Amino acid sequence: MKQLLGVALGILTAIGGFLDIGDLVTSSVVGSRFGMTLVWVIVLGVIGICVFAQMSGRVAAISGRATFEIVRERLGARMAVANLGASFLINLLTLTAEIGGVALALQLASSIEPTLWVPVAAFAVWLVIWRVKFSIMENVTGLLGLCLIVFAVAVFLLQPDWATLTGQAIAPSVPATETGATYWYYAIALFGSAMTPYEVFFFSSGAVEEKWTKKDLTQSRINVLVGFPLGGILSIAIAACATIVLLPQGIQVTSLSQVALPVAEAGGKLAVAIVIVGMIAATFGATLETTLSSGYTIAQFFGWSWGKFRRPVKAARFHLVMIICLLVGIAVLATGADPVMITEYSVVFSAIALPLTYLPILLVANDKQYMGDLVNGRATNAVALVFLVIILVASLAAIPLMIITGAGA
Amino acid sequence: MILSDLLNRPVLDAEGRTLGKVLDARFVIDGAPTQLLAEARLAGLIVSPHTGTTFLGYERTDENSPWLIAAFLRWRHRGSFYVRWEDVEMLTERGVVLVAAYARRSAALSTSIGI
Repeated sequence: MKQLLGVALGILTAIGGFLDIGDLVTSSVVGSRFGMTLVWVIVLGVIGICVFAQMSGRVAAISGRATFEIVRERLGARMAVANLGASFLINLLTLTAEIGGVALALQLASSIEPTLWVPVAAFAVWLVIWRVKFSIMENVTGLLGLCLIVFAVAVFLLQPDWATLTGQAIAPSVPATETGATYWYYAIALFGSAMTPYEVFFFSSGAVEEKWTKKDLTQSRINVLVGFPLGGILSIAIAACATIVLLPQGIQVTSLSQVALPVAEAGGKLAVAIVIVGMIAATFGATLETTLSSGYTIAQFFGWSWGKFRRPVKAARFHLVMIICLLVGIAVLATGADPVMITEYSVVFSAIALPLTYLPILLVANDKQYMGDLVNGRATNAVALVFLVIILVASLAAIPLMIITGAGA
Repeated sequence: MILSDLLNRPVLDAEGRTLGKVLDARFVIDGAPTQLLAEARLAGLIVSPHTGTTFLGYERTDENSPWLIAAFLRWRHRGSFYVRWEDVEMLTERGVVLVAAYARRSAALSTSIGI
């Protein structure tokens, strides 16, 4: 019974924790501009993150090493420094977007300027990282994040023309109002929002934090393979809501209020209240994860002691890195930079940086010296190689497309 | 001398022809005992004619999956060989110069562990 509860809890937090500011904004933007024609990318991204998370979780549980310890060991110091630099900066960008997301969500709840919420949100994040136990932190934000299920409910309440919706999703074509280049640019953005590198830094480091062993692998596999696809369905629901309400009226998504607009139309005040709780939980949870990821990447690379399972005094540099990163995030947002715009860039750059961490994990997941007999099977490798190609293509195409489309304008 | 003095330097034979670049160095741990491990001793260099990037672990003959990556990296490293440190004549401005009678040994590691 206890085990069953554990599995259920794991799945629920995986669903709730799946969405972050990147998914909220990108899915909504894509829905409002392209309808359901890019839904296939969400499906692809979810399969990809399942493969990636499953591999890195297994590597962490068996070898006891998290992502950047592996990057350092496998790539050698020089290549690993370049890798660390890129991954760390993009994680910092994502972190900034997530704090901005919390501030935007709090603005929806309070009508107080997001710039004023930023320091408050960052302080709360620091406090939680400093004081709260890892498992509690994960479960609370994950479970509250489940409030975002309202998006799925809203789709039904809006009574859409199901034939058109599914038609667009199954037989996608570039809408007449958009060019092929912007279509593919947003395809990459959406892919990056589903397969964000920090999710994997966090997932594998979390496995070490929670002291996973071979025994926990089944549970982790269930969490990933059930939880992430269900989280992906929420992502699709957000896109569907935008398709039904925002697209016909030509409403541009420039803030979280537009993301929540369809829910307001479908379910009124109560639904909006629930969605705001869900947005705060999702963005706050993701801020925790990205902040921890910034500490994990640097500390693991330099071989410092790291982890929330140690008291802060025993992992001082790890905690210092996180404090500095939060301060940088606050500073960037204090300039008045638009969090939604930062988010749109962060998901694209996530897609660009993805091969840097994907390849080392794939190599080590195949290495008998680390993994013993739990190396990747043939089927996993076949899928993983297909994704390697997709990830490389997306990564290489992102910058040219960004230039051609003027960042999707 | 530090490792960076060797890595990526051109490798020349006794007549001055370029053979490739130093890709990696192999050590054996059989020096004087210290507190934790014995001191490492430089055993030899891996020379690659085509690439300066690493084998990423695929120099070990029993690592063959995923096959596409293994095949690609083995192709990139075709012609790579191992020379013993004794076969190195001197280090010059132009690079690492080998003795005339140097032996090209296999760069592959036959087991996952050890040299």
